[in-house]
Order: sequence, then C-alpha cells, then structure tokens
Amino acid sequence: MDETVAEFIKRTILKIPMTEMMTILKAWDFLPENQLQTVNFRQRKESLVQDLVLLCESKRASLRDAALLDIIYTQFHRHQKVWDVFQMSKEPGEDVDLFDMERFKSSFEKILRRALKNVTVSFRDAEENAVWIRIAWGTQYRKPNQYKPVYVVYYSQTPYAFTSFCHLKSNAPLLSQALTVASNHHKIVKMDLRSRYLDSLKAIVFKQYNQKFETHNSTMPLQETLELDMHMDSRIIHENRIEKERVQRVTQETFGDYPQPRLEFAQYKLETKFKSDFHGGILAERKEPLRCLIKFSSPHLLEALKSLAPAGIADAPLSPLLTCIPNKGMNYFKIRDK
Amino acid sequence: MEWANDKSKGGVLAHLERLETQMSRSCKNLEDPPRETAESDLGTKIHKLRCLRDKLRAEVKQRQARIKASTASAEPDQTLEISEQEAVGGKEENMKAILQAYRFTGLSGKRTSRGVCVCISTAFEGNLLDSYFVDLVIQKPLRIHHHSVPVFIPLEEISAKYLQTNIQHFLFCLCEYLNAYAGRKYQADQLQRDFAAFLAGPLQRNSLCNLLSFTYKVEPQGRSFPFCARLLYKDLTTTLPTDVTITYQGTDASSTSWEEQRASHENLFFTKPLHQVFTSFARNGERLDMSLVS
Repeated sequence: MDETVAEFIKRTILKIPMTEMMTILKAWDFLPENQLQTVNFRQRKESLVQDLVLLCESKRASLRDAALLDIIYTQFHRHQKVWDVFQMSKEPGEDVDLFDMERFKSSFEKILRRALKNVTVSFRDAEENAVWIRIAWGTQYRKPNQYKPVYVVYYSQTPYAFTSFCHLKSNAPLLSQALTVASNHHKIVKMDLRSRYLDSLKAIVFKQYNQKFETHNSTMPLQETLELDMHMDSRIIHENRIEKERVQRVTQETFGDYPQPRLEFAQYKLETKFKSDFHGGILAERKEPLRCLIKFSSPHLLEALKSLAPAGIADAPLSPLLTCIPNKGMNYFKIRDK
Repeated sequence: MEWANDKSKGGVLAHLERLETQMSRSCKNLEDPPRETAESDLGTKIHKLRCLRDKLRAEVKQRQARIKASTASAEPDQTLEISEQEAVGGKEENMKAILQAYRFTGLSGKRTSRGVCVCISTAFEGNLLDSYFVDLVIQKPLRIHHHSVPVFIPLEEISAKYLQTNIQHFLFCLCEYLNAYAGRKYQADQLQRDFAAFLAGPLQRNSLCNLLSFTYKVEPQGRSFPFCARLLYKDLTTTLPTDVTITYQGTDASSTSWEEQRASHENLFFTKPLHQVFTSFARNGERLDMSLVS
C-alpha cells in the first residue's frame, strides 16, 4: 500500500470519535466483521488506529477505498462543512429526463478528467436516489490534495446540487460544467443560500419544511388561547392581552406551526442612499450610496426570528426581508435603491 | 362584727365590691327558675322543630319515590328523546366518516381559512399508496401556499399551464402524474422486495422510477445465464414502459430458444406490471418443477 494512502487512512480514522468508530467501519465494509473482532477497541486511540491501518495494509487498501472512508466520515459529520446550493435549469420543452445513475457518474468523471489529469473522483450512492461525490483536486504537475476535497450531493432528476465550500475558486467553473452536462441540464447558477446544515438546505429548496396539512382526519385545534391563562391566577388580568394575541396570530401566520429549517446567519449588503428627515444633516447631501453589511447570526436563526415578536423585542409583523428567507431560498441579500 | 374584720382585707372599695357581688348573686337566685324554664322552653321548641324537620324529610322522600314510580311507567317518552339525540350524534359521526372516506376516491379536499387543501391519494392495482397535499390560496391569482409533492414531479410546469385557467385540469393532470409515479415506484419496490431471488445484481433506478436497469434469471437457483433488462418510461403519466430492451449474455446467445425467450420476455415487460411478470416467471418455474416430479 502506498505510503500516502496509508497516511491518509490513518489521519481519517484518527478523526473518527471513538463512539462512532464501529458504526463507521461497518458502513465502510472494507474490513470484514471477523477481522474487526480481532481488534482491541478498548486500547488507546493511537494504538487502535495503528492496528486498523495494519489491517488495511494487509488487505491492500487502495486510494479508492480510502476516499470512500472519507466520504462516509463526512456524511456522518456533514455539519463540519459549509454548503452552497446551485440551481440548474433546462431548455423549455425538453424531453423527459431519463436519468441513468451510472451514465451520470461516468459522464461527470470524464468531463473532469478531460480538463484535469490529476483529479480523484469518488462516488457513494445515498438514499432517495441521491449520490455523494468526492473530488480531490490536483494541478497539471501536482497530484491531487486528498486533504482538501470538495463534496457534491446531487438528488437525481432535481435541479439542485449542494457543494461543500471550495478553497480553489479556479476549479468552480469546471465543477459546474461537469454537473450541468452530466445531469442533462443547460444552465447552472449559484444560489444566495449557504449553511452548515445540509438537511435544512434540502428542506428549503425542495420546499419540504412545511408539511402540516388540514385534513378531515385530523381535528384542527380551536383558536388557541394564550398559554398564560392556564397557569395564571384568575386574579391577574393581562392588560395587553389583545395585543399579545394579535402578535401570536401574526407570528403563526408567518412562520407556521412546523419546526423551522436551520440556518446560522442572514447577511444583508446595503447600498442605499441615506434617508434623513433632517435637512442639511451631514449625510443628507451625500450623493453616493452608503455601503454597509448587516449580519444576523444565531445557532438557529429562523427560530430566533420567530421568537422576536412574542418576546416583545420586535414589532409584528417582522420585516419581509427577514421572513422571506425560506420562501425565497436566500440568506444573502443585496439591497439597492430602486 | 365580722364586717369590721373583713373591712381590714383590702379596704373599703374591696368591701363594696364584695357587697355588690353578694347582691347580684341573690338576684340571680331569684331569676334562675325563670331562666331554667326559658331554657327548657327553648329545648322543647328545638325538639319540636326537629320532629317537624324529620317529618318533612320523610314526606319529601315519599314524594320522590312516587315520582320515580310514575316516570318509570312513562319511560318510552324519555327514551324517545335520547334516541333522537343519539340519531343526530350518529349522523355527525357518519358525516365525518364519509368525509374521511372521500380519500378513497383519489381526490378530496378540505376548506381552510385561506382556501382549500387538496389531497391526492394515489393507488395502484387496488392498493392505496401515498397521499400528497396541495394547499391552495383562493386569491387572484390563485396560488399554491405549500405542498408535499416531490421535487422531481413537474409541479411548476403543470401549474404554469393550467392553474390559473382551468383548475380542474390542473388537479387531474397532477393526479395523473402522481398516480403514475406511485404505480412505477410500487412496481420497483415489489421487485426489490418480493423477487430479490430472481435478481442477479442490484436494481438500478432513479427518483421518478422512469428508468430501471437490472439483471435477472427466470429461475432463482437456475444455472442459466441472466438476462439484462433496461426499461424506459418516457411517458410520465403511464405505469408501463415505453421502451424495453432485453439482452442475453450467454455463450449460446445465437440459439433460437434463447432468442424466443428474449422476445417473449420483452413482450411481457411491455404489457404487464413488473411484479406480475416475475410472478408468472415464478409460476412457470413451479410448473416445471411439478412436471419434473410427476
């Protein structure tokens, strides 16, 4: 086994937390069950890793096997990457898409190899007819860097592809081209949507985040009175109960009853003229637009926005710039004067 | 002259007090008999009132018993009232059940505060499959609020064509697509689940289930070479393939018997749902076994 491959496998296994070690190795399915049982999983991690690497060497693990292990690790730790979303489109009136996964994979790889000799492309099928693609980029003279791969997740016969952040911006057009052509599309555009939470991005663009529907089977709850009433002493009267109920209603109409998809930030780039009531102010005469960047960050941005009005921190309804995020599938905005 | 001696205990004021108490005591002795009589009078009064109360209580009980007896004989009237109530309640339950059962028609809906929530229940060969929802907002223009239609179904295309102009056509078109998709998916799932023994490799499929590629044998344990099948469903509103390609990779590919089989298989795949094709393979296999036994 190549030294670089051994080193790569060693570093990949070292990243795996001990609690997940068995699960990931089983998913990899490279080392058979009986061999894994001969290994002492209770020893110190460094020694365990050494034993495992020796086993891999004895089975002559290739770069391909190592890349597969890397994909599985990333699938378990997808939140460690930041994901972008691309939207592809076809010409109108095109034939029905007869997507063939094997043809897609070979076409994708061929396009990359034609342009770049030094590239490692690996595939792993996933649920819902999707595929995870791992690409390690090299240059004309250098072998692929296995430690900075790019991942692409593509669900067949959909116009969306999710890619992990790519440091080498120069390879982005090639990647886009490969994706578009292999999946029978014509154009590709990068969406203004980015997050660590791949599943939330999928829920947003596939419009799967609101799955509550009224049917005759379910009984709709009556207009819910404020929860305050249940626990409060009957001698306490809420002076602003009407306003509180209005805020509750507006929030429910805007955000719905469902769990919000998870995003960590929303960014607004403003290029607008300063508007002031005071004439003759310092900035009033300024002809050039002001440029500023406003960023909202949160461990769960949409839930935080949903709780703003009920908590009394903001007025309801919230600005549509904030509430349109899942609907428009954007969390990067550029605001200019009309 | 005890007074003089008493006087010495506490002085004049104390003496006066003693006199006062003496006097009041003597007065009390005079009053006691009347007091006692008053008390005994009250006692007897209480006793009388208690007796009256008990009598009245007994009378009330009697009357209640009489009423109960009379109502028992008059029961038919009451039960009539109850049964009417039950009838109304039963009708309500019935209505609810009918509304719920509308799902089985394939297309049902429920009014919402902003419009209607349409439910498309798919089915294939009498099996009820997944339901999909489209929540419509009744405004000008008509729009879809949210839905559970999979992303690879061309919902945008269909709504662009028909939603504003002919909502009936929009719903029927969507029904067609979804039912066909559900039918194809059902066939592929059945093949993978019930006829895995016939497959020589994994079933290759895609999201729309409109391209299926697999290798199969006619007999699960047969030693014959497998056939390769490639089924294309170019029409997304059908559950049967539009293109079927069967290839045989055995060494005696040129022999007529295999060519006949290949052609007959092609025909089968064109005309019957997948799982029925494989059921007939299984049955043929059984027939062969039976013939061997007999």
